[in-house]
Amino acid sequence: MTANDKLILALPNGRILREVMPLLRRAGIEPEAEFDDPETRKLQFTTSDPGLDIIRARSFDVATFVAFGAAHMGVAGNDVLMEFDYAEIYAPLDLAIGKCRISVAEPVELAGRDDPRTWSHVRVATKYPNVTRQHFAARGVQAECIKLNGAVELAPALGLCRRIVDLVSSGATLKANGLVEVEHIADITSRFIVNRAALKTRHAEVSPWVNRVAEVARAA
Amino acid sequence: MTDLARRGLLPAGLRDVLPPEADHEATVIQRLLGVSAARGYRAVKPPLVEFEDSLLAGSGAAMGPNMFRVMDPVSQRMLGLRADMTLQIARIAATRLKKLPRPLRLSYAGEVLRVKGDGLRPERQFGQVGAELIGSDSQAADAEVVLLAVEALETIGVKNLTVDLSSPRLAPAVVAAAGLEPEAAQRVREALNQKDQSAVKRLARQAAPTLVELLKITGPADAALAALKKLKLPAEAEAEARRLSEVVALVREAAPKLSLTIDPVEIRGFEYHTGLCFTVFARRVRGELGRGGRYVAGETVSPSLAESATGFTLYMDSILRALPAAGEAKRLFLPYGTSPAEARKWRGEGWIAVAGLEPGDASGEARRLACTHVLLGGAIKDVG
Repeated sequence: MTANDKLILALPNGRILREVMPLLRRAGIEPEAEFDDPETRKLQFTTSDPGLDIIRARSFDVATFVAFGAAHMGVAGNDVLMEFDYAEIYAPLDLAIGKCRISVAEPVELAGRDDPRTWSHVRVATKYPNVTRQHFAARGVQAECIKLNGAVELAPALGLCRRIVDLVSSGATLKANGLVEVEHIADITSRFIVNRAALKTRHAEVSPWVNRVAEVARAA
Repeated sequence: MTDLARRGLLPAGLRDVLPPEADHEATVIQRLLGVSAARGYRAVKPPLVEFEDSLLAGSGAAMGPNMFRVMDPVSQRMLGLRADMTLQIARIAATRLKKLPRPLRLSYAGEVLRVKGDGLRPERQFGQVGAELIGSDSQAADAEVVLLAVEALETIGVKNLTVDLSSPRLAPAVVAAAGLEPEAAQRVREALNQKDQSAVKRLARQAAPTLVELLKITGPADAALAALKKLKLPAEAEAEARRLSEVVALVREAAPKLSLTIDPVEIRGFEYHTGLCFTVFARRVRGELGRGGRYVAGETVSPSLAESATGFTLYMDSILRALPAAGEAKRLFLPYGTSPAEARKWRGEGWIAVAGLEPGDASGEARRLACTHVLLGGAIKDVG
């Protein structure tokens, strides 16, 4: 089997990786030992299945790899899927891990006297400019987005803008930065995703993995 | 930026196609058209630019945000640069070729221009080659266009094709039978597009069990058809499923080795189609090579001219990615002074023969001009 013929599974770094690995191991995906070495510089890993390799990437990049068919399967939150809305990605399984929500937040003192019905324009710092624009447009409000790649919660305190749109799980980060959640946009969980062309042209190889992961996700 | 660089810079998504790719593309297009010509499809050539409203009628509306527009100083009307050619062919069939007997078989090849590329297709300009079979509602017509697309791609050497058949009215018929409100039905369709089972379960109420079964059916044609037969479907969806299996049988008979899959819930991109649709993929080529299916032609010209049609479009950018890179052909250098009669003779034998314009070292000149062979004393020598 040439390297080109292997199926590639793309996984996001960080918290989701820790939550998803037990699931994948139960589905029979055992990566090589170096995968668990925090010092490793490797990005692509073999697994116990000679036809399957794992790559690790940032969560937004997982969706990009899968959309372009560079990876055939992956795990991504529906926050990422909503942001890109790639037609080439199928999201057949809700893994019910990585639970959180995507919300609008603003400083506590602003929330007390603010009336959202009067807004015509808001400036928002976010990792999710498309989700943000759509959310506000649906209410007839034009959103001017400042794209940040992290530390979004700092933006209001430093005067970049007054509102943010970001993921919220416990709310502790918001609280520590003097922010409060004012609008809920969507609930987020991680999904098992598949490249559209791969599901059609390599159905016999891809669909058994989808079924196996579905089984363990259901049992979990 | 240097002056040279500035003059060479093109707008995003546009490019110059150079040798040998430009020759290669022209040859590939000719061979694709040859396959449809041999089945009685005759070429038409619509203009690059039309009145905006004829390009935006009916299914063209979806292309609206992606179409370049210019003001016509002559008619003082807005013109659109075509972003897709199918609608132009349907317009020709309904107007100038209205009197020709049906079924009418037309083919075309041309460039389209889009305001913005998308992730998978960054190109703003690319070639389309296609064929339309207008005025027949039979399953034989459905099978003919699927087989024509496959034969055309195989003729030019695309390997490991998979044809994915779908029926964009099937799942919506199941959704409609469940009596969901339009907004809820739209959300179910979005979930179906993503194959998101949990969202379908949550949103589709009494249609959910059937839709989840349909989602699971996606896969190789034979197993999918067997599973479809066992499902209890509303009458309209049942008819769509029957048509799928009839067409699969016809395609199988003509192309037993072709990899066929069925996706009964594929709707995205087929919003205006009315019957059997298909998408062509090749293993290890990203994105689609082409797509097609059944639609109503002529409706946008006048409702009385509506007729059932089917056809397909191949995307030249994906197709060229699916083919091996264009090779350099053998070229023969004819030294200065070679007689026109002799040059004609070699060209008649199929050589690409490049004439020298000045006397000098023939072998050196041949090498300099990237010729593989040189004519020396009436005999062909390898330049080496």
